[in-house]
Amino acid sequence: MVRNLKRGIPHLFLLGYLLVILFPFLFVLFSSVKKDNNAIALHPFGLPKEFVFNNYYEAWVNAKISTYFINSLYISLISALLTILLASMFSFAVTRMRFGRIASVLFGAVLIGMLIPNNAMMLPIYTLVNKLGILNTHLALIIPYIGNAIPFTVIILAEFMRSLPGEIEEAAVMDGLSASGIFAKIVLPLTVPAIVTVFIVNFLSNWNEFLLANYFLSKDTLRTLPVGMVQFRNQYQMNYAQMSAGIVYSVVPVIVIYAFLQEKIIEGVTAGGVKG
Amino acid sequence: MNKAMKNPTVFILFVLPAVMLFLMFFIYPIFSSLYFSFTSWNGVAKLDKIKYIGIDNFTKALGQDRFWVAVKNNAYFILFSVFLQVPVIVIFSLLIAHVKKLKGLYKTAIFLPSIMSTAVIGILWGFIYEPDIGLLNKILSFFGIGKIYWLSDNTYAMLSILITNAWQWTGYYIIMVLAAILSIPKELEEAAAIDGATAYQRATRIVLPLITPIISVVVMLSIAGAMKAADIVIVMTNGGPAGSTEVMATYMIRYAITSFKYGYGNSIAVLIFIFTLIVTLIYQLLVARRNERIEY
Repeated sequence: MVRNLKRGIPHLFLLGYLLVILFPFLFVLFSSVKKDNNAIALHPFGLPKEFVFNNYYEAWVNAKISTYFINSLYISLISALLTILLASMFSFAVTRMRFGRIASVLFGAVLIGMLIPNNAMMLPIYTLVNKLGILNTHLALIIPYIGNAIPFTVIILAEFMRSLPGEIEEAAVMDGLSASGIFAKIVLPLTVPAIVTVFIVNFLSNWNEFLLANYFLSKDTLRTLPVGMVQFRNQYQMNYAQMSAGIVYSVVPVIVIYAFLQEKIIEGVTAGGVKG
Repeated sequence: MNKAMKNPTVFILFVLPAVMLFLMFFIYPIFSSLYFSFTSWNGVAKLDKIKYIGIDNFTKALGQDRFWVAVKNNAYFILFSVFLQVPVIVIFSLLIAHVKKLKGLYKTAIFLPSIMSTAVIGILWGFIYEPDIGLLNKILSFFGIGKIYWLSDNTYAMLSILITNAWQWTGYYIIMVLAAILSIPKELEEAAAIDGATAYQRATRIVLPLITPIISVVVMLSIAGAMKAADIVIVMTNGGPAGSTEVMATYMIRYAITSFKYGYGNSIAVLIFIFTLIVTLIYQLLVARRNERIEY
């Protein structure tokens, strides 16, 4: 009896913590199917008496969450894919090709990038994007997202590629493959596990990014989901039920990805510590 | 030797795009920031009209009350995470390592907020803090506590932001520390248990000393995170009420982008950089110096 009680105490605290984390999500989920603020105020904690799914329709169509959602999806995907392509080319050249000194200097330089606080870099990036003439286009986000993710992605991919045995290339060279052939046909396929990890981490951080997205785009139809959500909140301050539906739209994709790939995500996100 | 892997053209083609992006987004910004921090450029005028004004921007910033309010708020961020969050992180990671059932559930749920958008979490918590229908005041009303305007009363606004920030990030650090705890060989704890050490003694005498390096990393990351905090403030209070929740990064953005004082904004960026360096150095000198890497 005493033994059981003792074993239960840690769970008591942990379940308390769990409640603190999960209850806000439930609160939003429940609020999103309530009729209006009044319904939320009367029964804040539980499910509503009658479910109102209209909020989801209103948020998706009238509040243009659909536009923001698609913008976010496409910007995050393109940036994450291009990051993988460029970073894996770089990592391959630096770890597998025979350019010892230059390679280690380049690699070391990129590592320093991890130490630079990126929020403080926002202003120069703003002028850079402005000079390139891409302010107020999606490229204003895509290119900086790729650039910012390069150091972290290179670290993870280079470490992985370095661990592949050297005999692989020797055999491939015997078969007459060129360096780019070895990259595309042999090293890249072998690196897929690491690529999946960095891809998800980069995708999520692009999906969630707010500062650049908020200041580099001013046209409403170009906005990404987090920025659109804030805009939406400022406009519909009074309609919390609809706002909750908006929050659900933005949170659900992340939860779905997390449900399938949580081990990879946890491993990748904690490895990229400095990024968080 | 194989020639293919020594092909310089391929090497250059493969390295160039990433190097270009790195120069554009890491090296150029540093020098650009430094350069413009000594000018009064407004961010729009022709570049040949740039006026060099020496250290005027810096003396102006350091003489301004609102800037020091921002510095103080960054300090709150750091103090809150080091003295309140870190103990919570350590205790909960020890608890999760200790329990046998539901371990996976705890890990999964606790980590969840850290992969979500800070902006959306800011909105979500803005709803929780809402004075009339928000969750928090509803709960407090059970205890007979009256309406509190969490985000628009400057006694509570900063605290509300800090709580939200902690809610989002504590789990992330718990998972990091937990990974370190789980990598400690089982034999160490088993041997201590045979010698009659209680669970509490094993936690404080064996596990804790072994995880100090990772705690050190957590503190460093918290400091870095605290110094660059911006989006959560912009979303939740936008620096208000009356500038009381402004942090350095939002102060920088407000001047550079909203009020077209680009040169001045860059001097704030340089100050953020310098302050981060100072805080990190102080921490390294005072605390982290003696930490060594532990190999099992």
